[in-house]
Amino acid sequence: MAPAQDTPFRSADMSMVQLYISNEIGREVVNALGELGLVQFRDLNGDISAFQRVFTQEIRRLDNVERQLRYFYGQMEKAGIPLRKLDLDVDTLAAPTTSEIDELAERSQSLEQRISQLNDSYEQLKKREVELTEWRWVLKEAGGFFDRAHGNVEEIRASSDNDDAPLLQDVEHNTPAGDAERSFSGMNIGFVAGVINRDRVGAFERILWRTLRGNLYMNQSEIPEPLIDPSNNEAIQKNVFVIFAHGKEILAKIRKISESMGAEVYNVDENSDLRRDQVFEVNARLNDVQNVLKNTQATLDAELTQISRSLSAWMVLIGKEKAVYNTLNLFSYDRARRTLIAEGWCPKNDLPLIRSTLQDVTNRAGLSVPSIINEIRTNKTPPTYLKTNKFTEAFQTIVNAYGTATYQEVNPALPVIVTFPFLFAVMFGDFGHAVIMLSAALAIIYWEKPLKKVTFELFAMVYYGRYIALVMATFSVFTGLIYNDVFSQTFTFFPSAWKWEVPDGYTSGPIRAVLKEPNGYRYPFGLDYAWHGTENDLLFSNSYKMKMSIILGWAHMTYSLCFSYINARHFKKPIDIWGNFIPGMIFFQSIFGYLVVCIVYKWSVNWLDPANPQQPPGLLNMLIYMFLQPGTLDVRLYRGQEYVQVGLLLLAFAQVPVLLLLKPLYLRWEHNRARAHGYRGIGERSRVSALDEDEEEEDAHVPNGRTSNDSGYDGIAMITQDLGEEEHEEFEFGEVMIHQIIHTIEFCLNCVSHTASYLRLWALSLAHQQLSAVLWSMTLGSAFSMIDNGSNGIGGALFLVAMFFMFFTLSCIILIIMEGVSAMLHSLRLAWVESFSKFAEFAGWPFAPFSFKQMLEESEDLKEYIG
Amino acid sequence: MANGWSIFIGLAVVAAMCAAAWIFSPKGENQVLWRSSLILSFVSCYLMWAITFLAQLHPLIEPRRSDLRPEYIHH
Repeated sequence: MAPAQDTPFRSADMSMVQLYISNEIGREVVNALGELGLVQFRDLNGDISAFQRVFTQEIRRLDNVERQLRYFYGQMEKAGIPLRKLDLDVDTLAAPTTSEIDELAERSQSLEQRISQLNDSYEQLKKREVELTEWRWVLKEAGGFFDRAHGNVEEIRASSDNDDAPLLQDVEHNTPAGDAERSFSGMNIGFVAGVINRDRVGAFERILWRTLRGNLYMNQSEIPEPLIDPSNNEAIQKNVFVIFAHGKEILAKIRKISESMGAEVYNVDENSDLRRDQVFEVNARLNDVQNVLKNTQATLDAELTQISRSLSAWMVLIGKEKAVYNTLNLFSYDRARRTLIAEGWCPKNDLPLIRSTLQDVTNRAGLSVPSIINEIRTNKTPPTYLKTNKFTEAFQTIVNAYGTATYQEVNPALPVIVTFPFLFAVMFGDFGHAVIMLSAALAIIYWEKPLKKVTFELFAMVYYGRYIALVMATFSVFTGLIYNDVFSQTFTFFPSAWKWEVPDGYTSGPIRAVLKEPNGYRYPFGLDYAWHGTENDLLFSNSYKMKMSIILGWAHMTYSLCFSYINARHFKKPIDIWGNFIPGMIFFQSIFGYLVVCIVYKWSVNWLDPANPQQPPGLLNMLIYMFLQPGTLDVRLYRGQEYVQVGLLLLAFAQVPVLLLLKPLYLRWEHNRARAHGYRGIGERSRVSALDEDEEEEDAHVPNGRTSNDSGYDGIAMITQDLGEEEHEEFEFGEVMIHQIIHTIEFCLNCVSHTASYLRLWALSLAHQQLSAVLWSMTLGSAFSMIDNGSNGIGGALFLVAMFFMFFTLSCIILIIMEGVSAMLHSLRLAWVESFSKFAEFAGWPFAPFSFKQMLEESEDLKEYIG
Repeated sequence: MANGWSIFIGLAVVAAMCAAAWIFSPKGENQVLWRSSLILSFVSCYLMWAITFLAQLHPLIEPRRSDLRPEYIHH
């Protein structure tokens, strides 16, 4: 049987394949399959921890390279060098050979060394520079202290030692002022000069004061420019301090305290000549250091700039390489035969492509050992693989957000492509708003390529859903025309069916319209504009929109229910048709199908026909009385109505036991019959032999009488032994019964509640229409009426412009964006709950193939390297 | 011109459009997509139009207003 073409209708046929690859080309094969992106590999080493796997060494090495590349990136960011991002649409990276990867690893190793060397020396130099700068400040400021200090040596001395004050005062008086420097040492007064963090000055002073009991003279001044801390590049405010004190021990103590407070103590000479020399020396050294620093910085920048050109590409290469080895770690390695054995899922239709890719790789490598790919049979549920294109992708995402469809059941996304935007449009129906939205969607699609690069999250979301927006807007244009609403005003494409019946000499007062041709012409497309702005237009449009919601809801649900028939037929479960689909359909149609028929019938009857006027029945009451008092009528709709209604009611209730019992009883009967024939469930011997062809064969020849727990089979299927996990399923009547009871109750109640739920179509479209009417009357409407009332000069014009601006902005923000989002959410709910619950099981698991493209798109780590 | 029969004329037109969509959908993987989307769109739009038309076919109430301007009366 040739496999059917893969369509969006249901999941592609999947097969489990087994690959035998020679160890030498394992890497190349996985690389090629990664480019292809069609195989999802299974982990065959589930019991082995990540550290014990075969290719862990390689992964470690690549991790190291990745760390080095990241380090370069960090350095580049620090130096402010822009990264050349990799555009995956333009640059295609050929799969690297092993030697290329080795080369890259070596190169990044040596680069790392070089860069960290440069960095170290840079940091050291920077530190030196800071030190020198600080020293220069100390020299400068301390010099100032000394100059000032000479003026008042007495004070210092007086404050530090009072006892021998007179004696020293004599000495002091005798010495000339020029020798003041010598006098410090002569007085046994020493000093400590240094630099300290400005915010620590207070604490520093206090501690010094307390420990030295006030035996000190401290002088400080702020350094006006902030100093840069080389270790973290932070600017720090610092103060220069000079502390004079008496005695060696005290000076040593001060030094210690300074150090412990994080202050830097610098050597300053007392002598002003020496100090001048020191300043010169410091300046010269500072100059040198700055020169070297500049050179180092330039070299580092040049090196980093060169790296920045290819860093992204390297990062991607390493990312891919790592993914390859991670995948190889999933394979089972046969040491004896030096063969890698892999298992995975792939689409059946793509098998030839995979096979030829394998062949290619093997040929290119010039190996004599062929790579083998085998399709194997399994009892495991395949993953659901729904192919998408750029149009269907977003719709599929909406559905996948709810769940993954069961393998091979009808893809709920297919009807959603139309029903979701259409139901949105029923709520969003306004031609003007729809056209704005349509233009936006078309613009995004027209500039699809350049806009793809925009990373602003909110826009990226709109961009992703651009085709949804396109379809939504298109349908909204249609529904806007049907509602005859354009920014809450109307079109007058066709002549109205109504004319105003104006009495002669009319000035004001209530007035009513009459049909131009009571039995002929009606407004051919959409709502008649005669209703626009009338006193009772809501009365009419509410009745119309409410009934429309019911009819559309009925159509949507009936349509969805039909998919359950298609599913049952596809899975060859006739009992689902007879036990679920048919009774469910009859139940639904005999109540709500009947209601819809009544609505349409009531519309098609001319109740006010002057020849035979009748009272029109209220359909809501009719439906309520159909349940409350079967057989009695409030107002008659047609002849024989009571009998039809009782009949339908009985038919509907007769479906409940069928729905409840048919399927469980049938399943039990079937199960018992199979048991009676001596069959057992496949699950009862949950093992698939896939490792070896012979075993498959042997397995097929197992005679019926052989017991299922034949010990000879244990442990054979090493590779696939975890296949049969939860396939083991005993038939249990109780469980099936409970499941069916829940289903029945749910279905019957949902018929009612879901139909009512569609009334949101009416509510939202009413809200949208009223909101836009209010906006119009408060902005443009008021501007027009002002101009109408005479203020048509420049002021009126300006007011109109301002009002238009407001009208347009508010229309876009409130009516298009906010209302649009709300309508979208309601439509989403109608799809997820009201529609999907009728047919979709959502018990699948998604196909996630090993694909470089996907990996690069989804990787968080590589995001900043790919532009 | 546009009386009750329009519903059936419209139905015929939409049926023809659906048939055309079925026949002329481009072949290939996405044929199902084309067919389902086009036909579903046509049917939905027809439903909406038909409902709107039917709702106005035999109206039970007529438009009323009291703010009609004398200039408008000749319409």
